[in-house]
Amino acid sequence: MNSLELITLGLLGLIAYSSIYIIASVSLNFQFGYAGIPNFGLLFSIAAGAYTTGALTGRLAMWYYGIGNDLDYIMDNTKIITMLNSKLSNDPLGGIFLLLITILVAMLVGAILGFIASFPAIRLREDYLLMMLIAMGEAVRIIGTNYTPLVGGTLWVNVPNLFAWTGLYSPYVIVIMMVITAILVFFFIQVIVSSPFGRLIRAMREEETATVFLGKNVVKVKIIVMMVGSSLASLSGVLFSLYTGSVIASGFTRVDWTFWPWLMLLIGGKGNNIGALIGAISVVSARRLVIFIKHDFEAIFPFSVVWLEQILLGLALIFFIIFRPQGLLPEKPTKPRGINYKDIASNILKKK
Amino acid sequence: MYIIDAIMYANLLTMMTIGFTLTYIIAKIPNFAHGTFAVIGIYVTYTVSEIWGLNPYLSIPLSFFVVGGVALTQYFFIIRPLIKMKATRISLTITTIAMEIIIFAVVNVYIEYIRKVYAAQGLYPVAFLLKRKDFTIFNLPGVFIVSSILIITITTLLYLMLTKTKFGIAMRATVEDSELASVMGVDVNKVNAFAWFLPGGLAGMAGSIMPLWFQAHSQVGSYIIISTFAGSILGGISSIYGAIIGGFIVGLSETLGVIFLSDTIGSWITAYRLLIPLTILAVTLLILPKGFTGLIEDYMDKRILSKLGERK
Repeated sequence: MNSLELITLGLLGLIAYSSIYIIASVSLNFQFGYAGIPNFGLLFSIAAGAYTTGALTGRLAMWYYGIGNDLDYIMDNTKIITMLNSKLSNDPLGGIFLLLITILVAMLVGAILGFIASFPAIRLREDYLLMMLIAMGEAVRIIGTNYTPLVGGTLWVNVPNLFAWTGLYSPYVIVIMMVITAILVFFFIQVIVSSPFGRLIRAMREEETATVFLGKNVVKVKIIVMMVGSSLASLSGVLFSLYTGSVIASGFTRVDWTFWPWLMLLIGGKGNNIGALIGAISVVSARRLVIFIKHDFEAIFPFSVVWLEQILLGLALIFFIIFRPQGLLPEKPTKPRGINYKDIASNILKKK
Repeated sequence: MYIIDAIMYANLLTMMTIGFTLTYIIAKIPNFAHGTFAVIGIYVTYTVSEIWGLNPYLSIPLSFFVVGGVALTQYFFIIRPLIKMKATRISLTITTIAMEIIIFAVVNVYIEYIRKVYAAQGLYPVAFLLKRKDFTIFNLPGVFIVSSILIITITTLLYLMLTKTKFGIAMRATVEDSELASVMGVDVNKVNAFAWFLPGGLAGMAGSIMPLWFQAHSQVGSYIIISTFAGSILGGISSIYGAIIGGFIVGLSETLGVIFLSDTIGSWITAYRLLIPLTILAVTLLILPKGFTGLIEDYMDKRILSKLGERK
């Protein structure tokens, strides 16, 4: 492999992981930055997306092509996926159909889980909700690692390559699809938060009692935010499994899929989507760089780099909370569309 | 045997919930690093017993002070500066989560260090059990007796401290209204420091007892913290006595529930043990968000109101 290919591969990885984590951190920003719901159970939404991809896409494709009825999905996984990939390699429509179904179901599952996880504690103070969400994240992971029919438990399942029809270009096409999804999610959230609903959730974050007093149903709004947020976050699980081509249940740890996105959000600036985006890109770049220098590093230190990375993660969280709680890009007052402040100001001045 | 299992676990969990609740009522934040405090205790025991070759019981007081010290460091270097900066409770909570990650990583570095340095002795610190080093009295395992005595002593001492000593009364005053208490001459800082040191110490003790009866590994923290949430919230999170009851109930129902379910449904259910405290947590939050303490308070209120009614 020459150096050009290596660089292309590295860049592709960087773009892919950036898109995955941008979705995670921006949807977290929607929940925490704008609505003030401290979602420390982000893991369960992302795992929901990945588990749906692992459990559903392959089975759906089996049914769609009517093959492998005599095979066990988990045990003969590699065989089935190879058969499916050869079918998919000359069926673009089937690939796109499966992709859309997977995304839809994953978002639905994410929304339902968001509802289940937040419902018991949504009326209570935020720390109760925090405990409930953390516990829920662990629970989803435990179900994933122990319930074998889902995604193989301690084994793993492969995901069919839904872009097999693009032939050699499929790694590039997947990454382009991921970037498009990330951009769509970003703008979707941007549109929501600059809409009247966005003002409502910010009002709720700042002063819940006053919002209730103005006749808004805060509990309902919070549940909607949790459902929308976690259905969007589940997309990053879908993309991650499509990109890596497999789902490993035990890989969905709190540190990787809850705390790293939180650090990205806190670095970038909560309540600012561009901040969340920049935070995600910079943290992902730093982590990708660590992978490149990993081997030189492990020769110096007598322990694996994973732990050093985690210690740095913890220290960075504490550092940003103490020294720069607003993040690199602080929240800006958003301008509601359709209101021209210049006109209003000049009208007031004229009256005077 | 099952009963011993259940009571042992309940004892350990109660030590955890007492500490978690104590921090919660004084600092007003849930300390997520509490579970990993127990993990430090576990590896203090490992060091004392396997590396130094001493009696594992010696590690109980040692981990009390070591982990208490860690908790105190956390308070002085992270929590107190942030409180002074008037940080929100969510920010404070996030730092405790960061602390959890750091402690977990440091413990794992220590594990890898032991594996490298003591590779010749064949030590395996990743997961271990020290049951063989325990003694027995009247066919009862020593750790069962020791932990039961410990939990009774802790409860009694806490009760005496909170009701009979000046410091305990100062503590209760701080819980009620920390600003007013400081105006009345209570050293709130001292109370706060104590509210981090003691829970840390108790969690360390729970952790250091654990390997004598249960399989211990560095992941224990992330499981036991969820049972601790459930116990504290079931007890009502606003009172230490509630935490004792809640911790005991969750501990017993977790162990006995798993045994009962694996007898009736099948042994595959044991892997889903964590779902029991999760269910308790969810159900408590749904139907009884104030926990047992809230239930008792409501009952007291009603009694007082009805007595007032009689007088009219």
